[in-house]
Amino acid sequence: MEKRSFTKKELYRYNGKNGAPAFIAYEGKVYDVSQSFLWQHGRHQVLHTAGTDLTGTLAQAPHGADLLWRFPIVGELVED
Amino acid sequence: MAKVAREMVEKAGINVDQLVELLVKNAAAELTTYYYYTILRVNLIGLEGEGIKEIAETARIEDRNHFEALVPRIYELGGKLPENMKDFHDISACPPASLPKDPTDIKAMLTVLVEAERCAVRGYTHICNLTAGKDHRTYDLSLAILNEEIEHESWFSEFLGEGPSGHFMRRGETSPFVSKFLK
Repeated sequence: MEKRSFTKKELYRYNGKNGAPAFIAYEGKVYDVSQSFLWQHGRHQVLHTAGTDLTGTLAQAPHGADLLWRFPIVGELVED
Repeated sequence: MAKVAREMVEKAGINVDQLVELLVKNAAAELTTYYYYTILRVNLIGLEGEGIKEIAETARIEDRNHFEALVPRIYELGGKLPENMKDFHDISACPPASLPKDPTDIKAMLTVLVEAERCAVRGYTHICNLTAGKDHRTYDLSLAILNEEIEHESWFSEFLGEGPSGHFMRRGETSPFVSKFLK
């Protein structure tokens, strides 16, 4: 997939439900987590949903941003 | 269900349905890990494999104990296990600890083992963070499990040459921290 820009509204569509890919944003980059066992149906550990910007929530996670590096970057998050 | 026990947790400000879902997911991780570690353990053959077989077996049995310890708490809080075991497998909080392509590659086997334990350490750290000072029983249980998962991680990490674990092998029975929940 070619990299592209996503607004928050556009990102919301990629919520991993009903066959949609699961994308998440972090620090301006958009990652495709569709292939992750831990993001099935667009949900992660009960509390987090795909199609959203998780920049503000990673600090509370029991892991760092390094776990994101294994996922492909599909674009950047831009202002609406 | 323990009605008042659940009410106390709700009153402390915890979303009990979310907590129960997390406990079910982690129980799934424990039982599936017990299954996958069975396959890993039987494939730890030869001189190199034999060297880590016993410690893999200890982790396997203790992860099964973790599942057994979690189940009552799930039901106390008004939750339940999925009726379908396949569904239970698929909601696991951690990816399957699948056998590597080359089971004679001990480093690959140890990597699967250590990554499974690291996922568990993160999971129980998270539950401890959520419940500390609020749900004393779940916190006590999660902390007990976390202690054992940290030991598991450190054993496999040491075998990978990442540094000393500070431990010796278990002396005596398994689950020194979780066994009080199994009585």
